[in-house]
Amino acid sequence: MRRLFAVDPAAAALGLWVGQPAADAAALVPELTLEEADPTGDHAALEALCDWAARFSPAVAADPPEGLILDVTGLDRLWACEHDLARDLETRLARQGVPVRIGVAATVGAAWALARFTAAPERPARLASGEEAEALQDLPLAALRLAPEEVAQFGRLGLDRIGHLLSLPRAALVRRFGPKASLRLDQALGRMPEALVFRRPRAPHLARLALAEPISTPQDLARVTRDLCAQLCRRLDEAGLGARRFRLELHGVDRRPRVREVSLALAARDPDGLMRLLGPKLETVDPGFGIEVATLEAQETAPDRSRQRDLGPSLDPGCDPARTAVQDPETLAPLVDRLVHRPGVEKVWRAAPNPSHLPERACRVLPPLAPPGEDMGERGGEHGGEHGGWDIARPRPVRLFARPEPVEAVALAPDDPPRLFRWRGVLHRVRLAEGPERLAPEWWRWSWDAAESAPERDYYRVEDETGARFWLFRAGTHAAGAPARWWLHGLF
Amino acid sequence: MAQAAPLQALRARIAALDPASRDATRSRLSLGDARLDAALGGGLTLGRWHELIGEGLERETGAAAAAFAATLCAPLARRGAVIWILRQDDLYAPGLWGLGFPSTRLIQVRVRRDAEALAALEESLASPGVAAALAEVDRIDLVAGRRLHLACATHGSTGFVVRRRPFGDARRLQDPKAGRDESEASPGAATRWRLAPAPSSPPSGSLLSGLPDEVASGLGPPRWRAVLDRAQGGRPGAWLVEHVDGAFPLRVVAELADRSRPSGRASGPGFGPGQSGEAFAAMPLRRAG
Repeated sequence: MRRLFAVDPAAAALGLWVGQPAADAAALVPELTLEEADPTGDHAALEALCDWAARFSPAVAADPPEGLILDVTGLDRLWACEHDLARDLETRLARQGVPVRIGVAATVGAAWALARFTAAPERPARLASGEEAEALQDLPLAALRLAPEEVAQFGRLGLDRIGHLLSLPRAALVRRFGPKASLRLDQALGRMPEALVFRRPRAPHLARLALAEPISTPQDLARVTRDLCAQLCRRLDEAGLGARRFRLELHGVDRRPRVREVSLALAARDPDGLMRLLGPKLETVDPGFGIEVATLEAQETAPDRSRQRDLGPSLDPGCDPARTAVQDPETLAPLVDRLVHRPGVEKVWRAAPNPSHLPERACRVLPPLAPPGEDMGERGGEHGGEHGGWDIARPRPVRLFARPEPVEAVALAPDDPPRLFRWRGVLHRVRLAEGPERLAPEWWRWSWDAAESAPERDYYRVEDETGARFWLFRAGTHAAGAPARWWLHGLF
Repeated sequence: MAQAAPLQALRARIAALDPASRDATRSRLSLGDARLDAALGGGLTLGRWHELIGEGLERETGAAAAAFAATLCAPLARRGAVIWILRQDDLYAPGLWGLGFPSTRLIQVRVRRDAEALAALEESLASPGVAAALAEVDRIDLVAGRRLHLACATHGSTGFVVRRRPFGDARRLQDPKAGRDESEASPGAATRWRLAPAPSSPPSGSLLSGLPDEVASGLGPPRWRAVLDRAQGGRPGAWLVEHVDGAFPLRVVAELADRSRPSGRASGPGFGPGQSGEAFAAMPLRRAG
């Protein structure tokens, strides 16, 4: 049976209710407009609203199906009081056609109850810490975030106000009705902590700039961003921290936040460097009808271990740095950051030895400025050379193909290196050869069957008559009727 | 007399701006052989950029050019960071390591297009802490060359451009002679090398008659035919060079003939596997003038 999923105030005034069969409702109100319920769409809309609400508070949690929880602790720096914040939120949402009811309290449970169960003129309802019990006692039990059947269970015993539960002895309450009601009561009164899953990880370092009028020119956006960078970096500086990720959100007059992120190779707090990375990204921002609020958030903060700047000429770009600088991550970090954020750059990395004898697995991709201690894996020492590199006793090509290319090769004996081979249509006569170096598949990484069927590879280094060097391998051994196949894996 | 001092100061300022006089004071990297260093005017000029072009198939694979570039860069890599910018990330760090290049510290950058590679190269060269930066690009035009020159000149880092066409060229496949653009001038490069692999001399004790019967006869150290097309403050030449492990990266095996036909000697019948490089060196083959 189709039932009503939600009703708007006009429908409620006509006596329709949630859960009513759709046919009954249509019979009562013939001109009723019905829309299909779309829980997925509702959820997406709620998440979008979550993102939008980040302009008020960095910690926003969705409370499906229709709630939004904002942690406003400490935000009185930005607003005169919580009441202003709530008013602002309400008017902005109302302007967008989103009906809203707001409750502000010290606990999630109390705020939830206030928002849903207080009369209209008192909203935005606000409770000071400690007043919860008094304010909630006249509210119905549904305000405790209990399921309707649980509320009905209490109702049969004549308990329909929160105050009734408060007057009951606690042990009897838990024994007769289970722990849920008591837990919700404790959470609403602040006796028990409540964990929330925020939409984004909490970032305590946030700079926010609310603008008197919407801005849209690139110059204005750049100026606002620069101010935010300076503000945030100053705060990080005071805390002795640097951050590896910065997230800029520009909230427009429309509900869409424009997000630009910058990640750094090393934790830093240099406003100019940050601005250099953010600047080009601002060019792609479509301000729409204007930007009203901008926030900049520092994530992945870490103690900034940078040495003192400004003294000594070594970091001054004008003077001869390449001679003196040994590879110092701090010197290179700005370059790496600029390269990573440069358009067209797909990847910036460093290759480090990986404990594997297979050529395609011998390199590990590391971030460009990873500390040298990470060069080797835990077991790296047994494989690499004495300097933490690769084994120089096994010569390896300068170019390694991502996938080996098939070649037609002729060898005199089954175990001989090829005498001549054809690669990309060109015939190469082998003048010198070295090998074989037999590399077996890594059976411990595969299932037994797969490892058994995977052929061993016999690698040969060969040089043709012009001196060009190739790294060829024969997959498996010759069998009757099935000659072994040859592949070219790299070039020296 | 009163006007002499300002005049002197002006001259000093002009000298500081003039690339010719600045080059004289610029530090140079010795390649380990007096003949090479002499042709380069005392060694490879640091604080400039150098161009390396592979020949034939090398234009596409860039293997010999990469090995040669890594050989040249190895001493620089001990002074600071080396950045290698590529369009196709087939550079294999263990191979460079085997050539004595500290490739565990090499920062590799993959880009999509030539222009982006050149811009990233310029950015790298203009950064503190970078000793050398390499880029693999197909073409480099006047403006880009000039910009690289300025980036090198202001910050003292050394650039290398490996001319490579990583994904082939349809024109070239049909007709090897078509689209030969190696002779295009690349303005601003301090030196310009053309590189091709050369047959190595196998380690002593192994057989030299074509393919050895013993499988493990082995290969000698890699050799390249390096043609110095252009050298500012030096003179062009052609050499057969061999990679050596040690403080200096290269050893000259033989001096080669005229650069206009560099392949005539090296791959001709006279230069068979049986003939040693030292016998070849005895021939006075250097280009006249």
